Amino acid sequence: MEDPSIDKVAISGPALASMIQRFSTSQGSVDGLIFGHVSHIAPTLTDDSPNSTSSATLIATITGFFLFRFPQAQAQSPSAHLLGWFSGRRKTHLRPSLREFSVSNALSSNPNLTFPIQNPSEGPSNPNLVPSLFLLFASPITDQTIHTHEYRAYHFRASKHSFEPKSIQIVNIGPAFRAQYDNFSPNSPFPNLPFELRVSPMIVDRGEESLDQLRQVNKDQSELDMCSEGLEVGSLSRLMGSEAANYTTGVEDLYEKMLVKIESLTTLVEKSSAKVLEQENLNRKLRYKAARSAALE
Amino acid sequence: MSPETAPPLIAAQLNYLLSHFPLVVKIENKWSGSKYYPGILDRFTLVISYCLDVIKWDIIFDAESPMAAPDVIFGPDDENFQQFLVLRGEEEGDTKSPKNFLNDWNSRDATQLMLLVQELRDQYMSFQKKRVAEVDDDRLKFEISTIVAREGIEMHMSSGVDKPEEVKFSVPLLDMNINKMVPGCPWKHKQKIYLQVIYPVEKKYVSTPSAPRLKLVSTTELKSIFSIDDVKLPTWLNGMCMAEYLPHLEESLENQVLEAVSLIDVRRRFIEALALQFGRPLEADPVFCRKATFLAASGVFTFLVHVLISTQFPKQQPELMLQSSQHFNSQGAPIKSLFLTEYPWSPRWEIPLMAERICDYLTDEALNFKRYCNEPQLQH
Repeated sequence: MEDPSIDKVAISGPALASMIQRFSTSQGSVDGLIFGHVSHIAPTLTDDSPNSTSSATLIATITGFFLFRFPQAQAQSPSAHLLGWFSGRRKTHLRPSLREFSVSNALSSNPNLTFPIQNPSEGPSNPNLVPSLFLLFASPITDQTIHTHEYRAYHFRASKHSFEPKSIQIVNIGPAFRAQYDNFSPNSPFPNLPFELRVSPMIVDRGEESLDQLRQVNKDQSELDMCSEGLEVGSLSRLMGSEAANYTTGVEDLYEKMLVKIESLTTLVEKSSAKVLEQENLNRKLRYKAARSAALE
Repeated sequence: MSPETAPPLIAAQLNYLLSHFPLVVKIENKWSGSKYYPGILDRFTLVISYCLDVIKWDIIFDAESPMAAPDVIFGPDDENFQQFLVLRGEEEGDTKSPKNFLNDWNSRDATQLMLLVQELRDQYMSFQKKRVAEVDDDRLKFEISTIVAREGIEMHMSSGVDKPEEVKFSVPLLDMNINKMVPGCPWKHKQKIYLQVIYPVEKKYVSTPSAPRLKLVSTTELKSIFSIDDVKLPTWLNGMCMAEYLPHLEESLENQVLEAVSLIDVRRRFIEALALQFGRPLEADPVFCRKATFLAASGVFTFLVHVLISTQFPKQQPELMLQSSQHFNSQGAPIKSLFLTEYPWSPRWEIPLMAERICDYLTDEALNFKRYCNEPQLQH
């Protein structure tokens, strides 16, 4: 199967900075998964060069990542696919290693991980893509004061079994960014919820059915709680139908509750990160201890 | 923790590799990738002999998890080697594939790194063989077909942006164990002589292929009994091929090696003859008999006589050097003479006569040397 060639890799400045930060603060080597999507970018129309219109460039946009150390890699939104992975190792040559080659090879040959191009071009061939992106981070072998990190992007061609170096486009907010605005906006869809709850007194009387109803309400509520905090499903109806006159307050209310949710999530992350760090340090000590005792045997 | 050490588990792997690897392997460079403990070494550049040259591979351990398998970064010219390794591993499902070594890494077994490197080197050999086989050159294809069966042959394809394409062969010569021929041989590695043959890859339109570049190479320790530089290679005639060339070369080389081995005994008898003149040597090389040191006296002046015997003995006379036991220079080192090579000598003399003539010569030379020793003191 011929795999399409990715022409460009784009990453937002903050995402790249954050990856480098994770790499440089980690104790040892780091590995992680890269998420994002692949889309066609229509070539800029120029009258001068007729052959430039022939093919649109395929661009891989990296929107997120996380380190392997945290499990549950499947928790991703449907719009962000697993694009590939990255590896960071201190003081090594900036060339893919044996392990990195094997991992990329395995990742790109896993049939369960294929994903489509986001905006398929009109044409008969729109093959599915495989997670084949690889970002390599390294630091120079001899300490250097200014040049502290190096990185390189590769596209692993499953058909050729080889890495192709790719240029990384770092996208920062600015005039050039406008065309790609959508590429980096968070794509977390709001759950599909009923706007009206028929909890009329008549239904309440019918025991069995109302139990089902209640269950449904609870389910919807918990889904909504994923996005906002302290907003009841019932109040969603204010956004639709007869009560839509109060639309603005309804939306404001929703938005506010969503912010509250984000804030509480942040605190949660902060607390759990502290715990993770604590546990990591403990693990590290145990590892040293185990290695020492193993060597003594 | 003491500075600049490898974690115990990693050190055990390396030590085993260095002491048990059947070929020459060295650690060229070692450094640390640890953020907080820059003294803990966990990255190493291995230099492994291959095809009369070396390959350099980086072995990357992680001091943070010393029980984990290492990673390997190959040289910049060998990008396709990983591809070869992985594809081959998939094809064969081989239990010996390097991937399995890394998957089932057991850090407590100190032999693991050596086995891994050995396996990788074997695979590298097949990789280069495959590359050479892909070269589109008729002569080369013919040469390979005739000599590929030779045991221990290694080949290497060198190509680069600004280098001409070349195929290098290292052909082991002489199917004999030189180590066994030398009594009391101290060599750790098996001594071998190789012929290096370098073929330029020919363009299709060249009608007469140019002669390959030939060079004899021996393992370094062999120099104690046999110098490869003294061997004159037979000329490569136009249109010749390796299968024609090698038998003649091997035949003449075999005779020369046998002679070199027999010369050890000649040197031994010479040292024994010297002992009759000078008394028991203070020190003598018992295996290769290349040097001996005697104590001599001329009146009250006592001095040492160092005798250095070349592999060309008795054609080439030994070099003598005198060292005073009584005179020291301003640094406190004993005063030595220059190498004495100009003294009466004939390779046709019987060995006892050689020893006798040296003794005669030194009787006179001792006086000169004594004078020379006293000179610096006169200046004061």
